[in-house]
Amino acid sequence: MNEVSDSLLRYRSWRGTLQSPVWGSWAMARLSVAQMARRKLFWGLYALALMIFFFFFYGQYLVVWIQLQTAQQTVLFGGVPVKVGELTKFLDRLNLNGSAQTFANFIWFQGYIVMIVLALAGAVLVGNDFQYGSLPYYLGKPIARRHYILGKFLGVGLFVNILTTLPALILFVQAGLLYDWEVYYVDHLRQLIGIFGYGLFLTTALSLLLVASAVLVRRTVPLIMLWSGVFVLCRTLANLLVDGARLDGAWRLIDLWNNLYLAGLWCLGADLGDMKREQPEVWQAIAVIASVCLLCLVYLRKRVQAVEVIS
Amino acid sequence: MNAPLLTLNSLRRTFGEFVALDDITLTLPRGRIGLLGPNGAGKSTLLKILLGLIAPTAGSGMLLDQPLGEDRVELRRLIGFMPEAEALVPGLTGVEYVSLAGELCGLPRRQAQRRAHEVLGYLQLEEARYRRVEEYSLGMKQRVKLAQALVHDPQVLLLDEPTSGLDPAGRDAMLRLVNELGTMHGKSIILSTHLLADVQAVCEHAVILAGGRVRGHGPVSELCKIRDDRYRLRIDGNVDGCRTALETRGVTFLPAGHTGDWRVSVPAAWNNCDFFKIAKNHESVIRSLVRDDETLEEYFLRSVNDE
Repeated sequence: MNEVSDSLLRYRSWRGTLQSPVWGSWAMARLSVAQMARRKLFWGLYALALMIFFFFFYGQYLVVWIQLQTAQQTVLFGGVPVKVGELTKFLDRLNLNGSAQTFANFIWFQGYIVMIVLALAGAVLVGNDFQYGSLPYYLGKPIARRHYILGKFLGVGLFVNILTTLPALILFVQAGLLYDWEVYYVDHLRQLIGIFGYGLFLTTALSLLLVASAVLVRRTVPLIMLWSGVFVLCRTLANLLVDGARLDGAWRLIDLWNNLYLAGLWCLGADLGDMKREQPEVWQAIAVIASVCLLCLVYLRKRVQAVEVIS
Repeated sequence: MNAPLLTLNSLRRTFGEFVALDDITLTLPRGRIGLLGPNGAGKSTLLKILLGLIAPTAGSGMLLDQPLGEDRVELRRLIGFMPEAEALVPGLTGVEYVSLAGELCGLPRRQAQRRAHEVLGYLQLEEARYRRVEEYSLGMKQRVKLAQALVHDPQVLLLDEPTSGLDPAGRDAMLRLVNELGTMHGKSIILSTHLLADVQAVCEHAVILAGGRVRGHGPVSELCKIRDDRYRLRIDGNVDGCRTALETRGVTFLPAGHTGDWRVSVPAAWNNCDFFKIAKNHESVIRSLVRDDETLEEYFLRSVNDE
């Protein structure tokens, strides 16, 4: 009896103003990122992403230091006197100079890690809601179905941006500090906007694709296979068709990752004429990305609409 | 405060040709309401309408001061819904699960967290609140589902089979909790279940649905009323002979209660002296003869089978 009385004392009614359902979406997004951080398996991949970031971070610093301090100095290399500037020419290929190509390359490399993590995490973030019947929990709350989709989208988007846009912005700030910052930030404003633009393309396309594919296949292994199909098989096929069979460059449009890269380069204002391989037009790439996103949205709307909250 | 909990006026819901709910007119007072019905009765459709997930095809209704309709977020704010499905989010701890429910209901983050701790404490899940929900026992899972329904302190609790899969002790504990919420904390409760005993144990009112129509509703105490044609009977002696004689006179034998007494339904114009006459004629003695009340189960079966 005492136990009952004691427990009843703890229940208190709550009176306050309830917030907009959008805050519910934000809460879902926050917990999604927390769930990603809890998986110990992913920390190896995060460490790899951090190494890529440090490579670019210290690479930029090293290039500037060599250019300013030692480029004209001569050292003995195998007994032959060589200028230090000549020795470090291979670094030029990496474009570690705060240019549009620097950020495009960085996001390209980080993108691989993001894709692998998302393929592994899709089932945790979204698939489980369908697999384990968590959806009635969300949809029985005072949020609309669009808020559920928004919450999942924001969760994946946050994660994508933490690994790509945010470190790219740090590299941008660092580049400005390494060069003449007043001139650099003004001259490279397009790159700053481009980083956000590339991030937006990545966020939108990857988030929608992940949520849609996780809703479709639900489990981790099929999800990895599906993502491998989209990002590895299609890419290989595109290379075979365009580089091997010498078909039109438009065939590369089946490579979604390449389309995202082209859209990113366009956002960053990079010179697309420099690209060695035959490529489709940027507008075509953007049109393909938009179509994929639209398809995902239509599928998600139908799929979430069909969920029975009460069975 | 005296406004009814639920008012339905000629409510109808169809899915294509199929009529799920047909001309439901009902006014239910605040309190603990049991929603009973066989599969396909329309309970799920009615719950969906009450949750504001689908709109009625025709007719109207109000839950407290909110009109019923599709995608009614405001309506769901009044309701704490405990689904029948497992509905857990794997990977979250109990407190995160309940806190997230609070935020989804619109509580600010800190208040959602505080409420989650309070509610989990109230439901005696204090010790387990930092464990992952998928590691909970079935009883704990049901309680944490009740906690997430309760976190925003709703006026109405909509419980879909809350005792499903629980052992007798867990079922008793859950029903006690539901009862306390209704009696001590003033929550209105709509309990949808197949288990009539749950409704009898907790609810003040019951609504019986079958074939999309209301077959009966009213206070449980009235539905389980004492009837003039029902008796509990205990006979010693030639029991078989008595039984045959009673059956010949039109007495129907109902399933026996847990005491082992006969439960009989007598025909119209039956005189109770006939029990004694028949017993005497068969060298038997009547040890007990009392009027019998109709259980909710019997009322339910009668209501459903009447159509």
